[in-house]
Amino acid sequence: MKYDALVVGSGIGGMESALKLGDMGYRVLVVEKEPSVGGKMILLSKVFPTLDCASCISTPKMAATIHHPNVTVLTYAEVHGIRGDGNGGYHASIRQKPKYVDEAACTGCRQCEMACTVAVPDEFNADLVSRRAAFIAFPQAVPKKAVIERAGVSPCTGACPAGIKAHGYVARVRAGQYEEAFDLVLETTPLVGSLGRACYAPCEEQCTRGQLEGPLPIRRLKRFIADRHYGRAGRTAIPRPQPNGKRVAVVGSGPAGLTAAWLLARQGYGVKIFEAAAQPGGMLRLGIPAYRLPNEVVDDDIATVTAIGVEIAVNTRVQDVARLKAEGFDAVLLATGTHRAVRLRVPGEDLDGVRSALAFLADVKLGHAVNLAGKRVLVIGGGNVAMDAARTARRLGAGSVELASLETREQMPAHDWEVEEALAEGITLRNGWGVHRLGGDGRVRSAELKACTAVFDAAGRFAPRYDEGKRTTLACDAVIVAAGMSADTEAFGLPTNGNRTLKADAGTLQTAAPYVFAAGDVVTGPTMITTAVGQGRRAAFMIDRFLQGLALDPSLLEAPLPVVDQAAVLRRQRVYDRRVPLAPGHAMSAPPTGFAETETTMTEEEAHLASARCLDCGVCSECHACVDACPAGAIHLDMRGRDVEVDVNAVVLATGFTLFPADAKPEYGYGRFRNVITGMQMDRLLAPTRPFNAVVRPGDGKVPDRIAYVMCTGSRDAQVGNPLCSRICCMYSIKHNQLIMGALPLADVTVHYMDIRAVGKGYDEFYQQAKDMGARFIKGRVAGITEKKDGNLVLRYEDIEGDGGIVEAEYDLVVLAVGVQPNPGVARLFADGSLALDDYAWVGEADEDLDPGRTNLPGVFVAGTASGAKDIPDSILHAGAAVAQAAAHIERSRAAAAPARAAAEPRVQVTA
Amino acid sequence: MSPAIRDTREIIRDEQVMRAPILEALAAGPRTIPEIAQALGKPTHEVVFWVMGLRKYGWVSEIKEVGDDGYFRYQAVPRQS
Repeated sequence: MKYDALVVGSGIGGMESALKLGDMGYRVLVVEKEPSVGGKMILLSKVFPTLDCASCISTPKMAATIHHPNVTVLTYAEVHGIRGDGNGGYHASIRQKPKYVDEAACTGCRQCEMACTVAVPDEFNADLVSRRAAFIAFPQAVPKKAVIERAGVSPCTGACPAGIKAHGYVARVRAGQYEEAFDLVLETTPLVGSLGRACYAPCEEQCTRGQLEGPLPIRRLKRFIADRHYGRAGRTAIPRPQPNGKRVAVVGSGPAGLTAAWLLARQGYGVKIFEAAAQPGGMLRLGIPAYRLPNEVVDDDIATVTAIGVEIAVNTRVQDVARLKAEGFDAVLLATGTHRAVRLRVPGEDLDGVRSALAFLADVKLGHAVNLAGKRVLVIGGGNVAMDAARTARRLGAGSVELASLETREQMPAHDWEVEEALAEGITLRNGWGVHRLGGDGRVRSAELKACTAVFDAAGRFAPRYDEGKRTTLACDAVIVAAGMSADTEAFGLPTNGNRTLKADAGTLQTAAPYVFAAGDVVTGPTMITTAVGQGRRAAFMIDRFLQGLALDPSLLEAPLPVVDQAAVLRRQRVYDRRVPLAPGHAMSAPPTGFAETETTMTEEEAHLASARCLDCGVCSECHACVDACPAGAIHLDMRGRDVEVDVNAVVLATGFTLFPADAKPEYGYGRFRNVITGMQMDRLLAPTRPFNAVVRPGDGKVPDRIAYVMCTGSRDAQVGNPLCSRICCMYSIKHNQLIMGALPLADVTVHYMDIRAVGKGYDEFYQQAKDMGARFIKGRVAGITEKKDGNLVLRYEDIEGDGGIVEAEYDLVVLAVGVQPNPGVARLFADGSLALDDYAWVGEADEDLDPGRTNLPGVFVAGTASGAKDIPDSILHAGAAVAQAAAHIERSRAAAAPARAAAEPRVQVTA
Repeated sequence: MSPAIRDTREIIRDEQVMRAPILEALAAGPRTIPEIAQALGKPTHEVVFWVMGLRKYGWVSEIKEVGDDGYFRYQAVPRQS
């Protein structure tokens, strides 16, 4: 794209520049990093010395800037680099940040903001109050459109293989919205209760709070919302979607199958699940012991699925996929899991008393009689299934349970916590042993083990090596083998991998037969429940697109943002509370007494305390409260940013200033004493759109009686490296004085100053007027401030005009008249470092007396306070000077490029 | 007054969990910031953040007249559940 001029920044200097250039007929692009134009001026209460309303003056200019026919404005966008094009012009790279809101649809109603569950400091109110992650910058914002602040995907959410918005439901719990939290998980999977108990919680491993005192108990929060939902009498019925006329067969009712069935049924598909076992649930039902996942919870989750019309046919093994197609199903999903046990292939494996862990766990879970009372049980394996089998055997009254694994304790694939719990329940580990043979007289009586010297080969493949000379024999009455699981896929007639898993495209999950998709462990091999859920979700998405005739594009399932940088998250705060993590809700015992759950559900208070520890890493939690609340359907959390490249003839830098960080003067106590505030904070307190209901102290809400101003905070101060006068502090403080005396007629206002600089038309009169109204002015720099117990503040200063000596004076509220500083980002706009700054790091002007607005770079101009401290009228004048030079430069460029055309080319003239 | 000031971001983040206790404290009638702080056992400056945040989003409002003690009183705003 080509513009005559690029204006960077849309404060009063930037707006003035853009409007003037636009009025001259030039095509102008304005880039503003905030969601609204207006800069700092729009945030002020009034302007000096006229006491005109800042909003009343700013808003017409803001609206004119946005609507000017020659001006294009990109808000919430940042210039990443400007470089010369070699022909006297410039090329700019701009990043348009995603707003996640369709501006054309957004009506500015703030319903998203009211519903949002994430509170952050409101920078547009100088951090005096909160705003929301979904927000409209301020009431007079132009454009008055919402923006969702997203720093990235929160690490917990990003770690979930299922794609569950973990941060989102944590935020919902924190806000006390338990049903909404449950519904949010339902957007991904119906297995809220099952995952709340049996998930291995990769989210918690990535929780940023884990780098402080420990991660949030995210899984247990999910259990809390599930238990609360399922425990409620008279649950709200889930509405059945309108049928879309198409049918999908799902083979297998484990996590992948149930998830896919649920998501497809919610879109109107007629879904029927075919399950080979007598009860639905797959591994949830058959593989996970009741002390971790009771059948009642699985039943509750499955009832959610059937409640919207999904049929489940049990005891129905599907072996002919084509027949399903013939029966009228438009697509088929194979999600049959890995229910075939891997054999040890050692002598004695077929003896009585030797069985697979899968069959053993299924028998126990289904209530079949299994007698291990008093028996010596040996479990073979080092994974989670082996742990489940060992702990189940313990609960059945086994006299002893030993577990032999090839791996060392550290290498065991079982989760650490599961091993710890097994040990706590009295299970003995024998690490580094493999089975040589099983012995017995028809029934197993012993196991001869051989030492394992290595489990994996150099390439990391499973290839155990043994020390055949090192053996040991264990006496046993029962052996449970948990040596692995494999898929049972021969009957489908579809291509398989070497391990019998089905071949399916990793992104689309489509098999060799286009209408057949496959998901879960039958594709991936044995994994976690959440991974299978994620596969089910992906399959549902792809089947839907397949049946709609749309392209199967895996990238559509990718998050629009990367996971947020955790170090950056932790840098947001200087200090952190130590918030003690919730104690594990486990009741361990050795030996365990039965199949009662080992973990309790949280109380509501515990859930609040736990969720309050969330750091809101991604800022927006993706809780979807805004999506639910928006009456216009304008929120699109999958929106992506875009890069914009433009060529321009001239650049106007109107990047403004930053305020001096008041805590850099620690003797004044800002940041430690709550009743010490900055001039900008007082401006906000005095503004019509103020953060509080009145001018009250931030420390306790009291209306202040005695208010002090400390001038030259951070300016004219060599100690902080800024010898310059900030030019505006005297006058804005005097403005405050007058406004305070109007708002609080009984308040005393005292100004501690070095000297008053009231240079400008009507400025000195304004100063005299404040004195006449009763403001006291005391000459002398304040040495320090201390805080009393009641929040009052004691200022210590030398009385150089009165009786002399060191004086202490007490006030209710102290306002630091902070100075201004250069915007540090402006030089970085030019990657080659070619933009010259002055001695104080403001944008340098070639000759600020005779040639204001011109920088060292031909075609690059500076407007307003980017080149130094100025009040509003001077900023406007300076912008005018910069624009006049920019216009001349553009004309010269045009003439040089095409003399004849430049003379003839009409410009769009705008008249007032 | 505030020997251990927490980070502003941390205080503000707590607004969501403090909403219910604050509204509970206001159930019996309007209260000043120090009165709410005493009821919650929390520092007054943190309560200012929370009450002003709740005010901004329509959960509480102020009684227009300031008390003789120099404090406004805040009340819960009835809302449709």
